[in-house]
Amino acid sequence: MKMSTVVRTTTKMVSPFLVTYAAYLMLYGHLSPGGGFQGGVILAVAVILLITSHGYAKVRRRFHFNWASLIESSAGALLVLLGLAGLAFGAFYANFLPTEGGIILPFNVIVGLEVGAAFTFVFYILLRWVESD
Amino acid sequence: MIPLMSALPLLFAFLTVLLDVLQARRGIIKAVFVLGVLSPLPVLWLAKGESEIVGGWAREAGIEVALTETNVPFILGELILFLFVAIYTVYYLDFRDRKTPKVLALFLLIHTGLLGAFIARDFFNFYIYMEIASVSAFALVAFSEERGAKRAAFKYLILSLLASYLFVFSIGLVYMETGYLNVELVSGTAVPSRALNTALALASASLILKAGIFPLHSWLPDAHSKAPTPVSAVLSGAVVKAPAYGMVLLFSALPSGGTFRTAIMGVAVASIFFGVAMALLQRNAKRLLAYHTVSQMGYILLGIASLNFAGAAYYAMAHSIFKGGLFLGVGSLATKSRKLGEFGYRNAPVMAFSILMLSLAIGGVSPFIGAYAKGLVSSGLATGWKLAVYLGTLGTLVSFTKLNYHLMGTEAPRVPSAWKLSSLGLALAALAAGVILGAGINPKDALSIALAVVLFFLLKALGILGKARPAPSRDAGRDINLMTMTLVAVIVILTLLHWLTPAGGR
Repeated sequence: MKMSTVVRTTTKMVSPFLVTYAAYLMLYGHLSPGGGFQGGVILAVAVILLITSHGYAKVRRRFHFNWASLIESSAGALLVLLGLAGLAFGAFYANFLPTEGGIILPFNVIVGLEVGAAFTFVFYILLRWVESD
Repeated sequence: MIPLMSALPLLFAFLTVLLDVLQARRGIIKAVFVLGVLSPLPVLWLAKGESEIVGGWAREAGIEVALTETNVPFILGELILFLFVAIYTVYYLDFRDRKTPKVLALFLLIHTGLLGAFIARDFFNFYIYMEIASVSAFALVAFSEERGAKRAAFKYLILSLLASYLFVFSIGLVYMETGYLNVELVSGTAVPSRALNTALALASASLILKAGIFPLHSWLPDAHSKAPTPVSAVLSGAVVKAPAYGMVLLFSALPSGGTFRTAIMGVAVASIFFGVAMALLQRNAKRLLAYHTVSQMGYILLGIASLNFAGAAYYAMAHSIFKGGLFLGVGSLATKSRKLGEFGYRNAPVMAFSILMLSLAIGGVSPFIGAYAKGLVSSGLATGWKLAVYLGTLGTLVSFTKLNYHLMGTEAPRVPSAWKLSSLGLALAALAAGVILGAGINPKDALSIALAVVLFFLLKALGILGKARPAPSRDAGRDINLMTMTLVAVIVILTLLHWLTPAGGR
């Protein structure tokens, strides 16, 4: 599965911008429309675009299957730990950071990583299943 | 403090996957799994009898969680069941298989989902956690290697998701009418209206489907009997309790007319007798137990529809303990064949002792917890309904006489001691809980047992038992269509029932 040079070059150029945009959505989610989930989906789209244009085998060498799983599960654990940290300040998920937006900023970043890694992971598993045919 | 009850198993579920990716040793993964199962226990110990809003928000804006007398029995039953299922699972799963850590993570996700649903005092939060438990359950049913397991999982998935979407829709109606999702606030502002009646009918029908109660039960025997043994125990013992708790929330918050409640009680009694009748006809031991879940959920529904929530909660706890124990016990004997008469406990005294104790507990014999819970459920009922409960109990006893009659005849395979420990532990828990709650000893039970044994031999002589052959493997699509038709019919009937109630009745 490999597409024409035009498509490959375009996706190569677009992907870094997609990642930047995802980072923007995650980091400014508490001030402007956006948030962790949206950022995460765009993060996953950047990888999925590369896979569809360059082929699974080539992309897999850079974005390893286990890395996606690793980021996914550690982000999940961090999400719960963030809630547990709030417990020291009174309640589960208490807003304990004095900065603007409080814990929403770290929360959005973690959710973004979780969602991005999970979507990539799901896409990898589906592809593995398709390629085994 | 209370939200930790579902947060800690979630954390350990992620840690299990993380350790698997990092290729940790299997001992560490097992330890993390068991720790995750145990982690809600200290929380229950430290935070009792409080209500709390997550994150310290106002009640109108936040998610309320609480430990009240209607949900603590649900939680206790689930925790006791999971403790023994964890011991069983660690020795059941083959760690040479690379899927094993993922299965353990799915078990922890079911644990998270159920505990989160049981502590919820908010309809939407309840829905989310019930779905976490169901989605993990579909995956675990599909994990079984038995023939037809994938088909059963698919049927379970489609029907359960259909019911979920209808449930969310009805929550939307409640939100539209009252402006709240919190159970307390909804019950304060809800006045009978057509929209709320429709919401109640939709939500009840979808939860009845998810709980596997009679007219909407057909996914349950397949899914519960084809799953691997510890998964069966969790599915029958705990997963069907989440929709039952949802019905407790629903009936305590929304105004429901007298006719509507009577109709639901009729459904409950129909489920009790249908489940027993089908169980009597089964030859497959796990299928027999699965049909008993259909029957036993009827008692819980009877408690809910008569607004006896404490009775329903204690029955749910009792059912978690004895049905989980029965699935673990019978499942560990039936490793080669599931057919009655081809396996037994003749030379395994520990297994015989625990299965006999659990059979008495499910038959409502004192001083086991079944007797206490049954007494509590039937205490608030009129004489006619009480008679139905008694006859249902007699039927259950006949059916378990059949199970034990067949088990007595045959030699047991070699059963690992961890498996023995988990079924014995649940049997002792059923006895201890009954004694602690004060079930007392009722001499009439001896009469019931004698009557049940006589009835069993009578039915056996007539040649009625063991008629059911395994269902021919039909197209799954046809089953799903049939069930969807039944579901729609039930929704329409339940919605129209409100017209029969005089206006203004709660």
